[in-house]
Formats: sequence, C-alpha cells, structure tokens
Amino acid sequence: MLNAKTRYKLIPYAFLGIPVTIYFIWIIGPMLYSFYLSFTKWDGLTAPEFIGTKNYQMLFQDEVFYISLFNNLEWIILFMTIPIALGLTLAMVLNRDIPGAKTFKASFFLPMVLSLVVCGLVWSWLYSPHSGLINEVLRRIGLGALATGWLSNPKVVMEAVITVAIWRQVGYVMVLYLAGLQSVDQNLLDAAEVDGASALQRFFNVLMPQLAPVTVIVIVISIIDSLRAFDLVSVMTRGGPYNQSSVLANFMYIEAFNNYRMGYGAAIAVIIFIISLLFIMFYLTRIAREETNA
Amino acid sequence: MKNKIVISVLAALFVLGMAPLFAGGQQEGAAEGGQAAEQDVVVYNSYWSDPEPKRVEAELMEMFKEQNPGVKLIHSTVAHEDFKQAIRAYLTSSAPPDVLTWFAGNRARFFIDKGLIMDISDVWEEAGWNESYSKGFRAMSSVDDKQYFLPGNWYWWAVYYDTRVFDEYDIEIPKTWDELMAVCEKLKSNGVTPFTVGTKYRWTAAAWFDYLNMRVNGPEFHINLMLGKESYDDPRVLKVFNDYWGPMIDKGYFVESPASYAWAEAIPFMTNGDAAMYLMGDFIRDSYPKEDLEYLDFFRFPIIDPSVPVGEDAPTDGYFIPKNSQNPEMAKKLLKFFGSKEVQEYVAKELGRLVTNNKVDTSVYNENQLKGREIVNAADYVAQFYDRDTTPEMADKGMNGFMEFWQNTDQAEKILEKLEKSRQQLFEE
Repeated sequence: MLNAKTRYKLIPYAFLGIPVTIYFIWIIGPMLYSFYLSFTKWDGLTAPEFIGTKNYQMLFQDEVFYISLFNNLEWIILFMTIPIALGLTLAMVLNRDIPGAKTFKASFFLPMVLSLVVCGLVWSWLYSPHSGLINEVLRRIGLGALATGWLSNPKVVMEAVITVAIWRQVGYVMVLYLAGLQSVDQNLLDAAEVDGASALQRFFNVLMPQLAPVTVIVIVISIIDSLRAFDLVSVMTRGGPYNQSSVLANFMYIEAFNNYRMGYGAAIAVIIFIISLLFIMFYLTRIAREETNA
Repeated sequence: MKNKIVISVLAALFVLGMAPLFAGGQQEGAAEGGQAAEQDVVVYNSYWSDPEPKRVEAELMEMFKEQNPGVKLIHSTVAHEDFKQAIRAYLTSSAPPDVLTWFAGNRARFFIDKGLIMDISDVWEEAGWNESYSKGFRAMSSVDDKQYFLPGNWYWWAVYYDTRVFDEYDIEIPKTWDELMAVCEKLKSNGVTPFTVGTKYRWTAAAWFDYLNMRVNGPEFHINLMLGKESYDDPRVLKVFNDYWGPMIDKGYFVESPASYAWAEAIPFMTNGDAAMYLMGDFIRDSYPKEDLEYLDFFRFPIIDPSVPVGEDAPTDGYFIPKNSQNPEMAKKLLKFFGSKEVQEYVAKELGRLVTNNKVDTSVYNENQLKGREIVNAADYVAQFYDRDTTPEMADKGMNGFMEFWQNTDQAEKILEKLEKSRQQLFEE
C-alpha cells in the first residue's frame, strides 16, 4: 500500500493519535465545557440556563473573590521566597560532609512524604488554641500573650496555613538544590577564592548562576503549587473564619459543590485558568529564550 | 530475560485492570438471567456516619436482612458533608441508590419540585401511615396531597448544661433572658465561661441566630427571613445582633477562639469544668463522654419577650426514593421497614431520638426524651434549622456573616447589608 518511507513517517503520528485523542476528550473538551458553563446558571440538576456575562459581573463585585485573590498572591510570594531561602541554606549546609548529614537530609525531606491532608490534620492539632503544642509551649516559656487561636483568628489564619505548606516544601526544595549542587563546578569556586572573591561574591556571582536552572524549576513548581492550593485550606479551615483564609480554588469548590452554583464556580475556574496561563506563558517563554541563548 | 519479566508484569497489570470489567459484566449477566435476582436488590445510602447512629443502623440492616432473606441489601454510609455534596450526582444519575436519607422540609421540597423524588403515596396508604403519623409530619412529606417523603426521627435543640457546675454555684435554671444573663454573670465572676461552642463548621453559630431571632422577633418573622421574604437589613434583625448576641460575645460569655473547634471538640470545656452550657441538639449525647453523661441535663432556651410566640428548632431526618430508582418495589419494602412501629421503637430506644410513628408507645421513651418532646410540643412553631430552612447558598453566606460578626461585634450593620445583598441576588436568581 504505502511505501516504507511514508509508513515510517506516519507511524509516530499513529502512536501520537491515541494520547492526543484522549487528551482532547478528557482535558480540552471539559475545559471548553467549563468556559461554556461559566456563562450559565446551573444548579447541577436542571439544564444549564444561559445568562451571558452575569456570573463575571457578580464575581468582580464579590468581596470573597478579592480576599481569595489576595490570599493566593500572598501564598505565591511567601511560597517562593521562604522555601528557597531555607531550602538553599539547608542544602549548602548538608552538602558538606558533616556527621549525620544523611539523617538530617532524610528528616527534612520527610514531611514531603506525607499527604497534604495528613499535614493539615496534624497541624490543626498543633494549632489548637486550648491544648495545642504551639500555644502550650508559648505559655510555658512566658510568651502566653502570643498564644492565639491560630486557625480562628482572622489576622493570622492565612499565614498559619501557609506555614504548613512551607514546612512541607522546604525539604523538597532542599533536595532539588542538593541535586543541583552536585553539578556545580568546584574548580570555578576555587578559582574565585584564589582570585580573592569574598564569600558573598562567590555565592551570588559564581554559585547562583550555576544553580539558575534549579532555581527556575523551583520557582515554577512553587507558583503552580500556590495557585493549586486547596487541600490544606479545605482540611484546616474550609476558608474560614468568614472567608479570611479562602483561596481561589477553595472559593470555587465551595460555590460549585457546597452552594450548587456550578456556573459561578465555572467562572471562578476560568479566572484561575487565566491567571495560571499568564504565569506559565511567562516562564515558558523565559525558558525557551534561555535554551536558545545556551 | 529482563524483557520477559517486564512483559509479564505488564500483562499481569493489564489483566488485573480488566478484571473488574469482566466481574461487572458477569454480575449484570446474572441479573438479566433470572428475573428474581434482578428484583431482589436494593441499594441504600445513608449519612448516619457518627459512631452511635452508625451502630444502630448496622443493627437495623441486619434486622432487615433477617426478615427478607431473598433480598440483597447494599448499604453504604457516607459522611454528612460529603453526602450533601453527592446527592445531586445521585439524583441525576440514571441508576441512583434506591433509598436515601435526607432532611425533611425545604431541603426535600427542593428536589420534589424538580421531579427527582418518587411519589410514595401508595406506600403511605398501604402501610397505614396516613393514620399512624401525625398531620404535621404528613404535611411535611406532602406536596399537593401526594406523599414523597418518610420522616424517620427527630430531635430537639436546647441549652445543655453540666449539673455539677450548676450545683457548685447554686444556680437555678434560667427561664427568662434576664435570668440567663444573671447566670452568665455569676459563672463568669467565678471564672467559668458560661457557654462553650465550636464554630469551625459554622452551623453551631447559626443555632444562636435561630433562637435569638425567634425569641426576639417571633418564629413567623424568622421563617419569612429564611424564605427570603424579609430582608436581612431589617432593624429587627439588627436588634438581635446589637442588643443580644453582640453583648454576650463582648462580655466573654463564650469560650475563646470558638472557630478553632468542631462542635464536638468544644465538649471537653464542659466536662472539665471550664464552661457550663452548650446550645446544642440532642445528638450531643452521642458524643458526650460516657462517664459524664449522668451530669448532662438541658433546659428550654429562655424566653426573651413573653408576648412573642415560642419557636423551637426540631430538625427531622427521613428517607425517600429517587425517581430513577431501578428497584422501586424493594425500595418501598425498605421504606415500609423504616417506617414500621418495630423499627421506630428500636431507634427510639437505642439512639434516644424521638420518632414519628404515633403507634410507638411513649413508654419506650426515657426521661430525657419525654422532656425534649415536651419542649417541642409546647412550642407554637417548629422550625427545622437555619441551613435547612433557607437555601444552601443563603445559608453559606449567612453563616459566614455570623462568623464575621463573632470577630467584629461592632460591624453588625455592615455585615447585614452584605447579607441583604446576597439575599437579593440569591432569591432573585
């Protein structure tokens, strides 16, 4: 039928066809359907009713939307800075041959093994205002004034939840940097030292540029994880008290599946999608540029 | 050699993956083969997930199996919150569970109006429920004089207190608001927090709103507010917040950081003597430590304005059959079982709930049940509960408003304006 050469060219497409079809049915299709749903009013029972952009109009007037958006931003910022600083520090320290380094590495990485739900539950107990470990310790060391209802005080609740996410992430970032440090060229560092570069100069001008690929990966992972943030909020506070710890994903979930406003939920999902897309595009273009430069 | 191992592992995985499909096919084949086999299945999903109700229900399931040896009963228990989210998926599927637990009143009415619940007037007729259930319960289950719902059991809300604390400070049970405030002051001055409450899941705060609003403004206004016919920025609602609820919070009559605790996590404050009272439904008994149960007693929420009719919260749970049920005959059989005098008596005795069938002799009730029944019987109006009387969307907004108020007692006006905006949006939709 076909000559060998054409067949050879077609085979990859035949193989690609299957995953691409599945991708369209399970990912692209539902995504487009969500876009459609965001223009409807749907309670999950009767047929969706087309209402134009009303969901979006309501959304942009909804106070909870802005609280959630702000919380997501706070999450991104804290989640990018603190785990990178701590993870890199730990990696630098544990990269030396100090006794027990392996044990330390393992124990810092351990939280990553736990599911977010388990982390959320355990930390809820630590945060418990009456008998939780944190308040108990604060009271014992004479800092009782600082003890508070960590998950019920609207002023600190968001930070309390993000802390758990950071606690879990630090070990992961550490492992990524440990791997990155293996590929750092020790000769360059030694040469810089001989040339009289200070420790800070060596760190910022010699080491960090070599770790740049790892840093990009860490930042991308952090941003994506921040935008996806849902599990911890859902387990620890469900967005409470009165939405002060709400994030977009949780807001969407409550509106769609608790309040049965599927159309409104879909509109929130579309906004999350657009925000994620902005970040992803930004980093993809950056990475593409770096690859062409290199 | 290596390749061979990989291939056989993959093959094994593939076969394992397919196994459920074949098993499913076989099951269906068997069902099609024999008529009898097909009819004798009934799928029942319930939300009785707390330990005590779960135990009692497991026993009921055994009873049903013994009475109906030919029937294959498939029962699963789904946690309360998950059940509420799953029910719409159940109801719209082509093969839903055959019997479901649900809340009487508005929550059931919503699905009845959408045509998702089966008309079971024939079951009511055959089982004689038209006579053996009170008119109130019949009306609760009917739309246009057709019955769709079976009320199974109900419970009352009241102020629960620990008798040890009341005895220690020589406190009389308060009957009026002034008396209650005096009790609170006395407890507070002795270093005991008057009320414990765990508002992590918010509905415990809604109970306070229900009672204060009913006592101050009367049940008629309250229920119209629930139905979206009155507005949240009404000065009468503001009065509830600024004159009653707010001062209680400001004076420290509630435990600190209530939003950190689920409702049952706030019970230890009572048992260890830090707090004295808890506005709660009778299911508090299921979670109260066994060794402290004898000290747990309750009284009716004090009267605030004697000229206002008395309303009480008494939520009713029950059962229905989805319209698309594949095994309606067996489902009706199970429903008749649940509504029977025998089962109702068992639930009343084992679980301490009040039941709906009038044939059940009141002698099965213990002292507590009789006292709770008396509170509800004496009421002029019986409400279900905040999140059952109003729509789920409004309940979500409202309960968030209550939580916000709890933290900012000076913001009542602003919060109520926000709720009013939500009400207009949600009830106009």
